[in-house]
Amino acid sequence: MLVRLLAVFFTVLALAGCDINAVPRLDEEVKASWSQVQNQYQRRADLIPNLVETVKGYAAHESQTLEAVIAARAKATSMQLPENVTQDPEAFRQFQENQAGLTSALARLMVVVEQYPNLKADQQFIALQSQLEGTENRIAVARKDYIATVQRYNTELRTFPGRFVAAVLYPDAKVKETFTASEAAQQAPAVKF
Amino acid sequence: MRRLVFTLLLVVVAVVTTGTAQAAGLSLPPLTGRVVDQAGILSSAAEQTLAAELQAHEQSTGQQVVVATVASLDERDIAEYGVELGRAWGIGQKDKNTGAILLVAPNERAVRIEVGYGLEGTLTDATSRLIIENVIRPQFRAGNMEAGIVTGVDAILAVLRGDPDAAPQPPRARAKDPGGFPVITVLIVIFVITRFMGRRRGVWPLVLGAPTVWRGGSRRGGGFGGGGGSFGGGGASGRW
Repeated sequence: MLVRLLAVFFTVLALAGCDINAVPRLDEEVKASWSQVQNQYQRRADLIPNLVETVKGYAAHESQTLEAVIAARAKATSMQLPENVTQDPEAFRQFQENQAGLTSALARLMVVVEQYPNLKADQQFIALQSQLEGTENRIAVARKDYIATVQRYNTELRTFPGRFVAAVLYPDAKVKETFTASEAAQQAPAVKF
Repeated sequence: MRRLVFTLLLVVVAVVTTGTAQAAGLSLPPLTGRVVDQAGILSSAAEQTLAAELQAHEQSTGQQVVVATVASLDERDIAEYGVELGRAWGIGQKDKNTGAILLVAPNERAVRIEVGYGLEGTLTDATSRLIIENVIRPQFRAGNMEAGIVTGVDAILAVLRGDPDAAPQPPRARAKDPGGFPVITVLIVIFVITRFMGRRRGVWPLVLGAPTVWRGGSRRGGGFGGGGGSFGGGGASGRW
């Protein structure tokens, strides 16, 4: 009786811990959170042309800073992302580097802008600037969510019993890349009024 | 024998719950109502008026707006804190994510309007910024914490209702809320009736704004709970 009970207990425990759908489910979660990351970076890229135009209207001779933003944006948006970018360390690193480049170019622009009170009072600029800040926030949230889902996915792949399940049922599943939280890249443009 | 079964059950419970316990590492104030005044900067009269106003807003639009004042941001950025709080409380209808939080941290002198995914189109970052800059900040600067929060909530609700001239104006005098009492009475009546009819899942969501997910502790605070909405970092922050 006791032995049987224990056997049932351990079987239940093993089954409870051994979710055979965990790998594909977490894989989908990673995909969804990755699209969110891309979506927010895209949103930022879309804001930049208008922002640059508005700044030009007031601060035309800051052309060097503006050029840097345009170039960084071009570099970030022109990159062709491979289908499996989340499993491709090189492409992932490249993506992260390009976006970090744009982040710091924008941060410099926002510092320069501080010297133009008329620009800072422009309604359109205020709207664009708050959207940019909001987008940087959303990027931070999306990155954090992505890091969390990848962590769950990778843990599942690397630990027992997920490791065993994956080896048998999902031999294609690979560990995914995640963001390294570099301080400079995380910093949203600091804007003070 | 019985004791053995009991012990094994305990082990199972322990194993199952360790996963969930880890998730709640941050110390966030509990959701005790539509106005959570942890920092203690609101009078109880203002708190009640605000709660009634926010409740009426949810009745008519299904959107959950809550006010939170916190004693400390725990060294975190207010934007980050706002998202954590919104997600932990689950403000807004599930799947629609129609929630917003006016978050005030008086000790850090920081204020934020945190906007759920579903309201980002109406209460945009730019609008949130204008509300903070033009409505809330002048009051906070003058030391009128309560007036800043009350007029700020008015401005947020006006924008969410889609008033054509809801663009934030400089602070204005505020009339007493005449609609608060009847709404509360009606709600209490509904509450009592449904209670006597028995707790059917079908009735509760209608009364309390579709709280399909009950979170721990939310039931005690006057029956208000988050609907399970999520946040993605929309809104604006400001300092004073």
